[in-house]
Amino acid sequence: MSEIYQQLSTIIIAGDDENAPGLVQKALDEGLPPIEILDNGLLVGMNEVSARFEQEEMFVPEVLLAAKAMHDGLEILRPHLVETGAKPVGKIVLGTVKGDIHDIGKNLVGMMCEGAGFEVINLGFDVDPEKFVEAVKEHQPDIVGMSAMLTTTMIAMGYTIKALKEAGLRDTVKVIIGGSPVDAEIVDRIGADGYAYNSPTAVELVKNLVGMT
Amino acid sequence: MSSPIKIPTVIIACRVLQSMLEELAPAEVAGNAIFMDYGLHRQPGKMTHELQEKIDGIETPSLILMGYGLCGKGLAGIKSGQHTLKIPRVDDCIAILLGSRQAYRREFSAVPGTYYLSKGWLESGSHPLKEYEELAQKYGAEKTDWIMDQQYQHYERLALVGHSQNDLETYRPQAQKVARYCERWGMRYEELLGSDEYVRQLVDISEASANNDKNFVIILPGGEIHLEQFIQK
Repeated sequence: MSEIYQQLSTIIIAGDDENAPGLVQKALDEGLPPIEILDNGLLVGMNEVSARFEQEEMFVPEVLLAAKAMHDGLEILRPHLVETGAKPVGKIVLGTVKGDIHDIGKNLVGMMCEGAGFEVINLGFDVDPEKFVEAVKEHQPDIVGMSAMLTTTMIAMGYTIKALKEAGLRDTVKVIIGGSPVDAEIVDRIGADGYAYNSPTAVELVKNLVGMT
Repeated sequence: MSSPIKIPTVIIACRVLQSMLEELAPAEVAGNAIFMDYGLHRQPGKMTHELQEKIDGIETPSLILMGYGLCGKGLAGIKSGQHTLKIPRVDDCIAILLGSRQAYRREFSAVPGTYYLSKGWLESGSHPLKEYEELAQKYGAEKTDWIMDQQYQHYERLALVGHSQNDLETYRPQAQKVARYCERWGMRYEELLGSDEYVRQLVDISEASANNDKNFVIILPGGEIHLEQFIQK
């Protein structure tokens, strides 16, 4: 039974998006439980990708492909997961802050969190504080994640937190930040709840924040 | 007036700044400079580690001029040991190439989605066309198109930065070749006349400049580089 799970994780690591959906379908056709296909197959692969990325052994292009394979596989799997009653483990609103267009890292975080079972609402880039506020009102997420790549745009993270406070929403969500100019001291300075150094640690952080680990 | 700094001066810099540093640094300093592979900017962890090794490998207490910015936090956590470090207070080399933090801020707010090219980046670094060519060998055209789109589809402008008209003219043909490729995302091509002022200030080791903490982060012996030191005041 483990052979197909092994194949699934290998296909994710290889970023083989053409074959990922077919293999997920094959696993379903064989009657394997959807949650096991996710946990023992796709996620094992994605966790390995995360580890290699963190070790700087895999780079953005390979990780993008792996995330795409994961995403395409999940598309096939998701209806079956829903059918069997598996719920998203949490909801995340993500965006690159106002004035900044760097969004590769943020998108990777989104794809990896999706892979870990979260529902991800990606607001894109150059997202102003008001748009974050509206998204929190609309989607009522557990977590808001903001990204900025430069010391000059990092300031917009603070403005967004301020806007959430003014809208009375700050206490309804955990706010996490990421990007080059961010560390624990910045978290304290702007009043966020946590930061992640890269996308794998971001996944660990959100799992922690929703009490998964 | 007190005498100028007497300790030896060493340059440790990214290869994309090599030609500017070699041109502007005193000959004896330029001759001993250590230039590092540009690819380290993709591996901030490795960058920190390798730069630390180079710094620790310098035997005599020295003033080390770092040809780097914060570079994706690649410099955060580096310890000066017995040396004094002088580092441009910038996010990355774009501000150095443009000549000042103000110029970078101006360009960034005008067109946030700008991909910058320079002599150093064209010769020793990378750019979207080179990246495409390398990835296409591995993944084939279709997959590579997708990877490239993921990374660059929001960019609006490709800007060649030169510190003189001559510089711009020399690298224009290469830059325009990259620009033609980048048209797939609707990016427009522009040339920006930068300045070598930042590099001049970096290699100016007179005492007055050593105290210049506006444009540079100075780490004294026994100190450590922190992210906060790069936050614009």
